[in-house]
Amino acid sequence: MSTGGAFGGNRGLRPIPPEKGIFPLDHLHECDTEKKEYLGCLKSSANKSEQCRHLSKKYLQCRMAKNLMAKQDMSELGFSGVKELDSTGDTNNE
Amino acid sequence: MSWLKACRGTRIPSHLHNIHRTSLPTSFHCGCPCTRGACKGNQHHLRSKIGLWGSPSSFLYLNSHSSMILGGAHRQYYTQSITETKSKKMLYYLTAVVFGMVGLTYAAVPLYRTFCQATGYGGTVQRKETVEEKIARHSESGTVTEREIVVQFNADVADGMQWKFTPTQREVRVKPGESVLAFYTAENKISAPITGVSTYNVTPMKAGVYFNKIQCFCYEEQRLLPGEQIDVPVFFYIDPEFDTDPRMDGINNLILSYTFFKVSEENTTATNSSVPVQETS
Repeated sequence: MSTGGAFGGNRGLRPIPPEKGIFPLDHLHECDTEKKEYLGCLKSSANKSEQCRHLSKKYLQCRMAKNLMAKQDMSELGFSGVKELDSTGDTNNE
Repeated sequence: MSWLKACRGTRIPSHLHNIHRTSLPTSFHCGCPCTRGACKGNQHHLRSKIGLWGSPSSFLYLNSHSSMILGGAHRQYYTQSITETKSKKMLYYLTAVVFGMVGLTYAAVPLYRTFCQATGYGGTVQRKETVEEKIARHSESGTVTEREIVVQFNADVADGMQWKFTPTQREVRVKPGESVLAFYTAENKISAPITGVSTYNVTPMKAGVYFNKIQCFCYEEQRLLPGEQIDVPVFFYIDPEFDTDPRMDGINNLILSYTFFKVSEENTTATNSSVPVQETS
């Protein structure tokens, strides 16, 4: 989608990398269950991310545990108000 | 010296004597009643009498002076020197303009980049404050946004890239100020490992200013083994200031588009043929 403006749009711009860098790929599928939970939640909630935030938090925590992401406090990533629903989350997709 | 006789009674003769000693007089009034045509004729007379005046170096002075005296032909020499200096000045000025333009071309690259980052023109994602700082700032102030934005996902592969690359979810409904997780699925369809690199874009372009990517899988080479399928995550955040910006009033749909390009494709046949199968009995 390079329908940029008069200056050549996005061709001339150097890409800006993401803030925290690159997610290493999960080749060993270590966090697959969390991912599936999250995606299932999205489907059931008509793609509203608000309702599935606890699961995305879980996914990121899984990544941090498996060394696929730099460890960081979850509140820094915007999850300060998210309450963990461990009991309901685990039994959801098993 | 017929012209001397004609110009009797003026200051001219004494000036002529001192010509080789003094500098060029700027204002030289000639009370001589010579007409233009007659003065030119007199000039020839003057040239023939050059021997009387001594060194040839004074000839030039004399000539220019005399042409001024004569009033008509002086304009030829005087304007010529003026035009020369004018041309030289013009030459310097134009050369300076050329160099200035070339320099501006080189300076345009960083200037353009700073301009784009400052204004978010062309979909550039702004980067003045880190996302964590933004999140911290907004969570402290307790900004609550009610507006829901639909973020749709688009996935592309470049020509010749044999990956199947699709978004795992079609869209996500988010509110500005929430950090969102999304996935893309990539699959290597052929029997050789392929390395690819991706880049992304946010449309509409002006909304790119508020789209902050916390972490993704782009801009770094990713290698997929043959037949491997993997889900890659993207973690992003839409700035709550999106809500208050009047330019974003009609924008409720954002499209995040990723494109994968092939970096290299490894040839597996070489490794297979180098090891012969040995049977021992």
